[in-house]
Amino acid sequence: MIVIEDLRKNYGDRKVLDGVSFAMERRKITHILGTSGGGKSTLLKVMIGALKPDAGRIRYGDMEITNLQGRQLDPYRKKIGMLFQHGALINSLTVAENVGLPIREHTGLDDNIVKIMVKMKLEMVGLRDFEELYPAQLSGGMQKRVALARALALDPELVYFDEPTSGLDPIVASVITKLIADLNRLLGITCIVVTHAVEEAMRIADKIVILYRGKVLAQGTPGEIRESSDPLVQQFITGNPDGPISFRASSKDYREDLLIG
Amino acid sequence: MKDLFGYAGRKFILYLQDLSSLVYLFRETLQQSLVLLRDGKKLREAGILKQVDEIGTQSLPLVLSVSALLGIAITVLISFQLKDMGALSYIPGFVAVAVFREIGPLITAMIVAGRVGAAFTARIGTMKVSEEILALETMAINPVRFLVVQRFVALLLALPALTLAANFTSLLGSFVFSSTRLGIRADTYVREMLDVLAFKDIYSGVAKAAVFAVLIVMIGCYRGLVVEGGAEDVGRATMISVVSCTLAIILFDTVMTTAFYG
Ligand SMILES: Nc1ncnc2c1ncn2[C@@H]1O[C@H](COP(=O)(O)OP(=O)(O)O)[C@@H](O)[C@H]1O
Ligand SMILES: [Mg+2]
Repeated sequence: MIVIEDLRKNYGDRKVLDGVSFAMERRKITHILGTSGGGKSTLLKVMIGALKPDAGRIRYGDMEITNLQGRQLDPYRKKIGMLFQHGALINSLTVAENVGLPIREHTGLDDNIVKIMVKMKLEMVGLRDFEELYPAQLSGGMQKRVALARALALDPELVYFDEPTSGLDPIVASVITKLIADLNRLLGITCIVVTHAVEEAMRIADKIVILYRGKVLAQGTPGEIRESSDPLVQQFITGNPDGPISFRASSKDYREDLLIG
Repeated sequence: MKDLFGYAGRKFILYLQDLSSLVYLFRETLQQSLVLLRDGKKLREAGILKQVDEIGTQSLPLVLSVSALLGIAITVLISFQLKDMGALSYIPGFVAVAVFREIGPLITAMIVAGRVGAAFTARIGTMKVSEEILALETMAINPVRFLVVQRFVALLLALPALTLAANFTSLLGSFVFSSTRLGIRADTYVREMLDVLAFKDIYSGVAKAAVFAVLIVMIGCYRGLVVEGGAEDVGRATMISVVSCTLAIILFDTVMTTAFYG
């Protein structure tokens, strides 16, 4: 179980996470849905220990992530993989070097074995022919797939995905969605996916958590979410522009803002 | 007025924070360097020779041309007065001491700060804003070990070597000018120079170069590591990095010259 308890994080006086609590099961796919700018990346950064929350805690097995600092996080980080929203590949390294980097760093394996492992990981994402290219020579979708291969390099038990399909064409997007499903069904990897792609979540998630205004709006299986009678939830999953959710992020009154502005 | 004090106070506190973070980064770099030097495989992967080549060899043309010109300029400058006094034979000793103690280390460090320190900040800052450094941390890879250590070791080797090369080139410039335009005989020049130049002049200059190397790497990398935001912020960080490097180099130069010869 990964348990998040009353997590809070502000940037200045902007409340991004305002008391988020939910739990995720191991060996399952959990999708965390939220609007753009709703604090999804922030939540992931807290979960990988890169950002300290203002309050609250996260437990993973017997580790309390939010209490760990610096090198204390290493044992946890060697068990997880993370697919960043924009890939975050090391630009000065080739595709093969990027994927091999965590292997070379954390195992004493022979160079030839590392090369074979890299080929296997790249084959999983269908990019074995691009080993010698640099990230800048790849399209955005390819960069994300390489980044996924890198996240899988050390056979993690848990992988975080930050908007794995946003900005991709529909075919690549569904390839990645299928890949996530396969990682979970075939290899038993716990997948935690942050996204605003509702359809994709409905298709593969075991559990869906909807974040709204820094709080958990709803959680449950895709079926339960679909059946929800909450108009907010319905608007969320149907994407209806008219409803209780305003697309305006500002809390100030519009007229007041104009008149004072 | 109160605002001004408030502003200065905040700047000062920020400055102290930077300073303590810099000291922390330096400690971490030293520690990680030791770890790396003990691990043969990782040492080879770190590509220190490539860095030496990038920051040392490729700075060589610029450093050498500037030093040769400076050697000539100093000679012209002092010959103007010494000629009237009939004391041209003082030129070799004066130039050698000035170059080895002061001008060589200082000018070389300035050039390298502008060329290499700025590149460190830009490179690392770009990695910071594109989340590459966050990705390293997430893979449990120490960013200091991955990014700073090889630059540190490389510049610690390259800057003293560059400085010595610059010193000799300055002397060569002065020598050529003296013998062709001032009529100082070649053997007189060499004898006078060796008469005055002491071993201390040479090693104090090398020690300065080593300290300047530490300053350039630490400030250059630190400024890159703390960038937040986007491309514009990387540009500003690079500018700040060069300015603070230059100031720090001049400050430490004064302190060390005073300590050695004051
Ligand atoms: N480092 C930061 N400093 C200040 N504000 C930030 C920072 N990072 C994110 N934010 C703000 O926090 C909010 C949530 O950001 P983020 O977690 O990236 O959202 P999402 O990933 O859901 O799109 C946004 O309004 C964003 O502008
Ligand atoms: Mg995001």
